[in-house]
Amino acid sequence: MAAQVAAFERELAAAASARDAHTVRDRFLGRKNSVVASWMQLLASAPPDQKKTIGRYANELKQAIDARWSAYEAQARATARPAGAVDVTLPGRCAPIGHRHPLTVVRTQMEEIFGRMGFTPVEGPEVEDEWHCFDALNMPDEHPARDMQDTLYIEPPLPGLGDDRRRTLLRTHTSSMQIRYMQAHTPPIRIVAPGRVFRRDDLDVTHSPAFSQIEALVVDEGISLADLKGTLLAFARQMFSERARLRFRASFFPYTEPSAELDLSCWQCDGAGCAMCKKTGWIELGGCGMVHPAVFEAVGYDPERYTGFAWGIGIERVAMLRYQVDDIRLFYENDLRFLEQFPI
Amino acid sequence: MREFVETDASAEQIAETLAIRGFEVASIERLGGGDAVIDFEITANRPDCLSVVGLAREVATAFDARMTAGPETQPLPTGRSDRLTVHLDEEALCPRYATAVAEVTLAASPAWMASRLQAAGVRPISAIVDITNYVNLEIGQPMHAFDLARLAGAELRIRRAKPGETIRTLDAVDRKLDAEMLVIADRDRAQAVAGVMGGAASEVSAATKTVVFESAYFNAASVRRTSRKLALKTEASARFERGADISAQVFAIERTAALMAALGAGRIVGPVIDCYPHERQPVRIALRRERIARLLGVTVPDADVERILRSLGLALTPMPAGWHATVPLFRVDLLREADLIEEVGRHYGFDRLDATFPAMREPAPPPDPRIARDHLVRRVLTAAGASEAVTFGFLEAKAVEPFAALLDGASPVAVANPLSAKFDTLRPSLVPGLVDAVAHNRRHGRRDVRLFEIGTRFAPGGESRGVAVALTGNAGVDHWSGGARDADFFDAKGAAAQVCDALGVAIRCEPSDHPFLVAGQRAAVLVAAGAHAGTRVGLVGAVAPEVLDARGLPRQDRVVVAELDLDRLAAARAEGGDAVRPLPRYPFVVRDLSIVVDDSLPAEIIRGTIQAAAADGEAPLAAISFFDRYLGTGIPAGRVSVSLRLTFQSLERTLTDAEVQQSFDRIVAALKSGHGAVQR
Repeated sequence: MAAQVAAFERELAAAASARDAHTVRDRFLGRKNSVVASWMQLLASAPPDQKKTIGRYANELKQAIDARWSAYEAQARATARPAGAVDVTLPGRCAPIGHRHPLTVVRTQMEEIFGRMGFTPVEGPEVEDEWHCFDALNMPDEHPARDMQDTLYIEPPLPGLGDDRRRTLLRTHTSSMQIRYMQAHTPPIRIVAPGRVFRRDDLDVTHSPAFSQIEALVVDEGISLADLKGTLLAFARQMFSERARLRFRASFFPYTEPSAELDLSCWQCDGAGCAMCKKTGWIELGGCGMVHPAVFEAVGYDPERYTGFAWGIGIERVAMLRYQVDDIRLFYENDLRFLEQFPI
Repeated sequence: MREFVETDASAEQIAETLAIRGFEVASIERLGGGDAVIDFEITANRPDCLSVVGLAREVATAFDARMTAGPETQPLPTGRSDRLTVHLDEEALCPRYATAVAEVTLAASPAWMASRLQAAGVRPISAIVDITNYVNLEIGQPMHAFDLARLAGAELRIRRAKPGETIRTLDAVDRKLDAEMLVIADRDRAQAVAGVMGGAASEVSAATKTVVFESAYFNAASVRRTSRKLALKTEASARFERGADISAQVFAIERTAALMAALGAGRIVGPVIDCYPHERQPVRIALRRERIARLLGVTVPDADVERILRSLGLALTPMPAGWHATVPLFRVDLLREADLIEEVGRHYGFDRLDATFPAMREPAPPPDPRIARDHLVRRVLTAAGASEAVTFGFLEAKAVEPFAALLDGASPVAVANPLSAKFDTLRPSLVPGLVDAVAHNRRHGRRDVRLFEIGTRFAPGGESRGVAVALTGNAGVDHWSGGARDADFFDAKGAAAQVCDALGVAIRCEPSDHPFLVAGQRAAVLVAAGAHAGTRVGLVGAVAPEVLDARGLPRQDRVVVAELDLDRLAAARAEGGDAVRPLPRYPFVVRDLSIVVDDSLPAEIIRGTIQAAAADGEAPLAAISFFDRYLGTGIPAGRVSVSLRLTFQSLERTLTDAEVQQSFDRIVAALKSGHGAVQR
């Protein structure tokens, strides 16, 4: 009997499919022509004194094989694919989600960092008049300082905003909005002015005729250069690296005095020198300084009473540093293979 | 430089230190014999540093070193000369004009001068010319030399050019002058454009025996204007337009005399003629120590303040609150107290400042509302699967032309001085830039493109902020189970509707005639209700094949776009309406209706008829939705089967079947009688 049961189990295990398994079962347990069936026939035609022995054997065999079959079925049920089963490794259906432009991502991040320091974002017109863009910022027409920014002029001019100064040019910096804001408010002032600016520049790897800037301005009684240092250090540490160190290099801008260029210690090599910082250990992070008294005079603030600082940087520059983008033109081609690499 | 300041600092140390103090270093070049050339970039406010002596002064201050006695000069008398008469006609344009006559001998400059000139990027020519260039590099006074024999009447007249007067300048170019320009003329004609470039006619040559040296101070604005009008920039004009040193003219001639003697190149004959009608007084500034501390945020010891400013050439007299400072005439950039504080700060060292944080005295005002609004629009459109693009804002005139229709007859705003024709017109619409972006993506193998841009549009009346979306390719899902569907008009309309809905404005569409969109697939978007009903706020449509073709896209591609004016939408937004509406307490009943109508009957009309008919019915109609539109087998030509789902619901009671049926029947009757609808 053991041999029969073992044979049954062996053949079941070798069954390639459910059908084959049923065939095996039938061969052993079926009504006709099966192992058990033939034993039952033998029982029917057996002499009376052997009937008991044969009958007992046949039944035990039947039960043993039955039990093995039930066990087999139970197992097969447990491991069978249920109705409606799916291949869980196939891709899911993704409703497409668009990505924000990297310039938006970076600008928003900067607004948030400055927001936590109490800075309010303000936006202004892209077409400006000479006064708001230059004269009020201590850059009269005849001064060579005007050459520092090549201006794009438009025709026809657009009407003035809130005054009758016709707007004849595309603004070269967002400082013009700072002027407008100061005209409309009294200190304390604590704003960031982000937006598009335009220069008469060729489009190449690091320059674009249209790009974006963000400028910070603080005006109050008692604001100092040390406050500028602290504010920018806090920004740099949150934006780039906790270990950031700052350096001011004296410089010249007509609208600030003192003026400085801001450098940040390279976060890649921590100042040792590498490809990112062109071996200098420092990364340029825009210009800054104390607001020139002539600017206060232009907007009607008393320079004796108020002092202030300002800082500005190109948003593309921050994005290129942050994400290691090496060609500014990528921001304007809007290739989805580029855009889709940035956070949604 | 070491001739003028006593310091052991190496070239590298000097470069590094001055770079922090305001003088960016372009390069350091090592020459033979331990010498070096440092190339500094001088900012526009420091013309006094366009000379070796000027920079030496900075080095002396930075390293607390002594300056030497300075360049050797030959003292000369001043007075009238019998060899030359000078007439200063325009004092305002030329406050000081000094000249001297010299007899010269032909010579070449010695090696030491030639190599120094070359190291500074100036080509040695002849002793006289080289000496004037050398004096300019050394002390920063541009000088010019005339051949006296070629000056008619042995006279120089500093006057305005006559209208139409011409001159051939040293670079052999003939130039037309105007009456605003200052010239140096002889008895008969102009011999130099003052402060810019000398004339060819009186140029010093190998044959010259007598020279007139000009050492002058010209009005900065005048030189700048002239230089720009002539499109002629020279070393001299660059110096004069930033502000020369009005105290240096005679000194420069005395230096020239000493160099001539040293080189055996000739000698000055007669006195220096110094036309200086009104001696300029130095600027005096009161500098308060409390103000230094306030601006810099650090207390600078008095001794440092005095050392720094005196080393830079200022004279200081103490007063209780600080000092009275007298500014040397070569520092044209020091005009007020803040300028002096910058000098103190940069030489004291910005690195010695603490990093403090400005306290907030008042709460921050709210941000510009457009910022939050733009973020909301971004959320809606990124959720709709479009990614954000940023395009320039200017395009070539041809690309903008089809979109000029949006300006109601006005022409687009042009860039007056573009750098390239590709960027010579300001966009009146965001669509052309987005179409370009779509084209770029298609060219790189991307078939399904969904982009949007929030940006400024320009018109002669002003700027406006808009948002535009462009879709092409698959607008359905991208999945192996199917569901792909080509983007069409209704995808663009849907995006526009979702944006307007998020901004709280209900809209409707009307067929339009925008030339840049395909006829029959274009619409104007209008405010649907409220005080601003009927205001145009945008457009939707399929981009015309000519426009696609012009931007490098296949004509048969379908690119659908929508554009909305965000400023107008903001103005049209209904106030209030924030309060939550209570949930309906009574069940709704849905009845579906299929009707066959003319296929030219707008859905809006059907909707209007249904709403009007339901308004007087017994069961309030809560919603109408179109869920199928069928053309084809079983539907006669020119007709279409439209299926609608009508939802009836009352806020006050459960509706009875009879009430719903009554309203339903009214609706069907109205559709039949109003539009010849046949119910299926």
